[in-house]
Amino acid sequence: MAEERRFRSASGVPITLRRRQHSASCRELAVRGPRLQLRSLSAATSAVWLAAYGLFALSENSMVLSAAIFITLIGLIIYLHFVKIDQESLLVIGSLGIQVTSSYASGKESTVFIEMGQVKDVVINEAIHMQKVIYYLCILLQDPEDPQGISEVVPLFQSSKPRLDCLIEVYKSCQEILERRKTAPQSI
Amino acid sequence: VLYLIWAYIPETWLFSLGLTYWPQKYWAVALPVYLLVTVGIGYILLFGINMMSTAPLNSTDTITDNFAKKQQQKKFQEEAIPALRDIPISEVNRMFFLPEK
Repeated sequence: MAEERRFRSASGVPITLRRRQHSASCRELAVRGPRLQLRSLSAATSAVWLAAYGLFALSENSMVLSAAIFITLIGLIIYLHFVKIDQESLLVIGSLGIQVTSSYASGKESTVFIEMGQVKDVVINEAIHMQKVIYYLCILLQDPEDPQGISEVVPLFQSSKPRLDCLIEVYKSCQEILERRKTAPQSI
Repeated sequence: VLYLIWAYIPETWLFSLGLTYWPQKYWAVALPVYLLVTVGIGYILLFGINMMSTAPLNSTDTITDNFAKKQQQKKFQEEAIPALRDIPISEVNRMFFLPEK
């Protein structure tokens, strides 16, 4: 069963949260940001080309114009492939682990899988980030020596920073599955 | 006071008094300017140092601390205010976000 709700990110951009329950102990939560807007793309392109035309008017060197075209094309490709994240999803499988995937606008997907033995808890933490205090969801990894200690913190949904109401939904869904792994017997 | 005297009296008068080995008059203006620019840059530098020493989002410093890890549990006494301690973040989260209305 799938469910989709609209929320806002920390900077006010509208995002959507999609929840799918695959089975009793397996859930997928995907946060999708807005697509690349035509107006921001054309604004950036015209700004670069106007600057290049200004330089050309000053220096009378036609290489400036072709360089500007190259810069625009290559910059757009780099932005779509390395910077613009369309969707970040979290797949929680109760007995297996947690998988975090980010899919970029050019189609590239990068995934990280953390097995359940290493996961201590999924919590909402608040921290100072760039002159703002933001809430963010993070996975706490267990320290192998010290059962109460935390060895590493993996922050989630870094590029589409959802606000607290969206994070609470994701937190509740994750906790429902994480609670069950304590009562179920650990196998291997 | 010596600084003001040196800055204002022209060189020829100082020479006639026999005091020849003073720094060039250029420095009378340059040093205050250096001081003020340092103060201005100090503002920006302090801001930058603050931003750099803020813990990044993926560090354990945002969750716990050396002191919190070594704290001791005090025994629970009836009818007394519980002792102050650092509550682990999982408990805090559960208390804030889990109860249904």
